[in-house]
Amino acid sequence: MALFEPEFGLVFWMLVVFLILLGILAKFAWPMILKSVEERADFIDKGVQYAQEAVEKKKQAEKDAQALYAEAQRRQLEIVQEAQRLKESIVREARKAASQEAQKVLEAARLAAEQTKKEAEVQMRRRVSKLSLEIAGKVIREDLSGNKAQEEMVEKFLNELENKN
Amino acid sequence: MKKIIICLSTLFVFLFTAEVFAAEEGKEEGRFNPKEAIFSHLGDEYGWSIVLPHGKLLEIPLPVILHGQRGWSVFSSSRLREGKAYEGFYIASSGKYAGKIVGEKNGEEYRPLDVSVTKNVLALFITAVVVMFVLFPLKRWYRRNPLLAPRRGLGVVEMIIDMVYGEVIVPVLGGEAKRFAPYLLTLFFFILFSNWLGMIVVFPGGANVMGNISVTLVLAVCTFVVVNVSGTKKYWKETVWPDVPGWLKFPLPILPLIEIFGVFTKPIALMIRLFANMMAGHLITLVLIALIFVFGALGAAATAGSTVIAVLFAVFMNVIDFLICFIQAYVFMMLSTIFISLARVGSKSAS
Repeated sequence: MALFEPEFGLVFWMLVVFLILLGILAKFAWPMILKSVEERADFIDKGVQYAQEAVEKKKQAEKDAQALYAEAQRRQLEIVQEAQRLKESIVREARKAASQEAQKVLEAARLAAEQTKKEAEVQMRRRVSKLSLEIAGKVIREDLSGNKAQEEMVEKFLNELENKN
Repeated sequence: MKKIIICLSTLFVFLFTAEVFAAEEGKEEGRFNPKEAIFSHLGDEYGWSIVLPHGKLLEIPLPVILHGQRGWSVFSSSRLREGKAYEGFYIASSGKYAGKIVGEKNGEEYRPLDVSVTKNVLALFITAVVVMFVLFPLKRWYRRNPLLAPRRGLGVVEMIIDMVYGEVIVPVLGGEAKRFAPYLLTLFFFILFSNWLGMIVVFPGGANVMGNISVTLVLAVCTFVVVNVSGTKKYWKETVWPDVPGWLKFPLPILPLIEIFGVFTKPIALMIRLFANMMAGHLITLVLIALIFVFGALGAAATAGSTVIAVLFAVFMNVIDFLICFIQAYVFMMLSTIFISLARVGSKSAS
């Protein structure tokens, strides 16, 4: 049947037409078209990737900000507590220092008082021994003042008296 | 889109195909011979008949190019109209070369070397021009607006390219996609537009191009050449000396024979598949429309009834054929891609 027999003329023309079309398209159309299609696909892919990264970054930033805020709050609390502690310790120190100072003053006062007392005592003794010797001299009509031995004796009596008290 | 296609196919089937038969019937002045009419439409012609209303026929003359005994002769096909002879050549009405241009030598018909621009050849030219008119605007768009998606019609073309390139060629051929894509894409678009143009019943289309074995033969040979020229060493080794138990290769080379046979059957299957599918599409429509005229002889009521039924069926078949046009182009391209990838076995960049 003629339908199933290849015809030379048509085969020839088909070959010519197809090869010319192939040549023209392969040279002038396909490289540009395929390059553009791929470039755009890459561009879109990159865009999508960029957007995804941006979302990721935003999430990360939010997380960071929250962490930072929490950290700040924590620090604030810490600082406040620290200040409180510091205040208390300062007050304590001050109190301690004040009491120490007071103690010192008191001590000094006490020492001064003791000193005064001692001095008074010494004067007292001197007066007492002088008076005693005068009295005793009057009794025995003899001037005992300036007598070293007598003075020492009075001193001894006074010491005994003091010890007895 | 679908609605438009259905409307158009209905219109074309109803108006023009019917007119073709009507015209022919009038011309022959006899009983309608469906077989002859159908096969003359499936085959090739030296001129391109356009049917005008009221059964008038406009025949576009095409150049006849022959190389006979007296060298080359080129003349218009209109000189051979109605059995006339020119320069000793005429269209044989019967015999081995029925419908072809023959010359006479020693009282016997012989066939000269015939490279006439026939109806199918013109349809090939038109297809090539249409393919270029579809693709070059897309290229221009990309040059003018890089990184911008084309709109409307160009968007559809790009979608088809992406479907073919991104979903078949690249996944199958991997790193070598760029190398073979121009051939495969050209193949696909040429078959696709040839098929679709064949569905338009009036002048720029309507030729049964891909339903002609000469055309599919060339495409199959092209794929055969591309596959076997780009075949790797491993491919040839697997073909000639496959990795199977020795007794399958020696002393009787059973498997090598099968493999080598397969090298040829693959493109032959491609050729037959496309040819048969596209011819069948045209054949079904023609047969359905011919039914109108077969039943037409029975009277007015039968004509009316058969017209309605035949047109309904023809529209239905045309809608399916529209899809088949695409599928066959896709299958041809896809199988070519797979054959190439099989031949590129073991090459470094293909993975």
